[in-house]
Amino acid sequence: MPPRKVLIVDDSKLLHRMFEMMLRQYPLVHAYDGREGLVRLGENSDIDLVLLDVNMPHMNGIEVLTAMKADPRFANIPVVLITTEGSEEQTDRGLALGASAYVKKPFRNEELLAVVQRLTAGAPAAT
Amino acid sequence: MTIRVPEEVKDQPPRRADALSELQHTLARAGELLRSLEKSPGASKDTQLQQRLVELEDDRNQLSKQLSDYEAQTGRLMNLYVATYQLHSTLDPGEVQSTIAEIATNLIGAEQFALLFWKGDSGECEIAHAQGLEEAGSGLYENGRYSGGDPAIDATLSDGVLRIGPIDGSDVVAVVPLSVQGAVVGALVIHKLFEHKAMLRADDRDLLDLLAAHAASALFAARVYSATDRKLKTLESLIQLVKRG
Repeated sequence: MPPRKVLIVDDSKLLHRMFEMMLRQYPLVHAYDGREGLVRLGENSDIDLVLLDVNMPHMNGIEVLTAMKADPRFANIPVVLITTEGSEEQTDRGLALGASAYVKKPFRNEELLAVVQRLTAGAPAAT
Repeated sequence: MTIRVPEEVKDQPPRRADALSELQHTLARAGELLRSLEKSPGASKDTQLQQRLVELEDDRNQLSKQLSDYEAQTGRLMNLYVATYQLHSTLDPGEVQSTIAEIATNLIGAEQFALLFWKGDSGECEIAHAQGLEEAGSGLYENGRYSGGDPAIDATLSDGVLRIGPIDGSDVVAVVPLSVQGAVVGALVIHKLFEHKAMLRADDRDLLDLLAAHAASALFAARVYSATDRKLKTLESLIQLVKRG
């Protein structure tokens, strides 16, 4: 089985760089807003996990998640919502829409890595 | 157990005598071990095993804690590396400001903050970048400027010392001096952290120190480059015009 491919949708270049460092063993695909995220999903049929920022220009993370769950091609891809919103209401809303996990910024690197490893378990890491 | 060595040993040739002597010593040692085993009851063996198990568990817990500490340390170093990398990865002043804001938001957890820079000799600071200030500041900032009034901000702008709240007479969470070649050119003022982040942690201090050391110089370099590039392009345009004329 090939290594898991992870799509990162976030408008922060800083976080993209951070994810590159943290997730070195995973092939990564980058998108800098919600619309581009959906385009990258369409282009890469082998995406296994999406790290999705909530607050983004053009199309926010909740809208992207809703669009993904409505599209049979993407509906089963696990999504980790990453946001600065800390309320329980926001968390519940994201999970109710079908997100697999919710990580609040600023996160500890080992915390996010554990979530990614859990959701991509069963696949070998790239070497 | 008693080991008896035949008297004939003494009469054996030297090599054989050595071998027999060694055998005698080994048998004596085996006898000692056997006696010690006979003396210790079964319960004692269990106790020894249990003690060994406890020691192994302690070792495992210690290693687990060390691994956790190393992971946390790696995370901190990664944050510092990425923050430094991003600050110096561009010569676009707008991008440098965005990076400072991203560090404040995504790595430190600041919800409301302002990036201030001295505005010439006017005695005022201009707000180069702000987030969530419409809800904060309580009148500290007017018309995109800070004219003084908060003791923590004023003190840091004056002496270049990083201040972390609580501070008497001020509501700020932290004031980070921004210095270039030893001169304070501004400050990053953090007014509020996200609700899910109760307070600044020890590793946040590293990031604040990094911002104090690198943010202003990165922005200063980008502004100088931008201004020089603009002048160069103007001169090139003028030269083209002269050549055409």
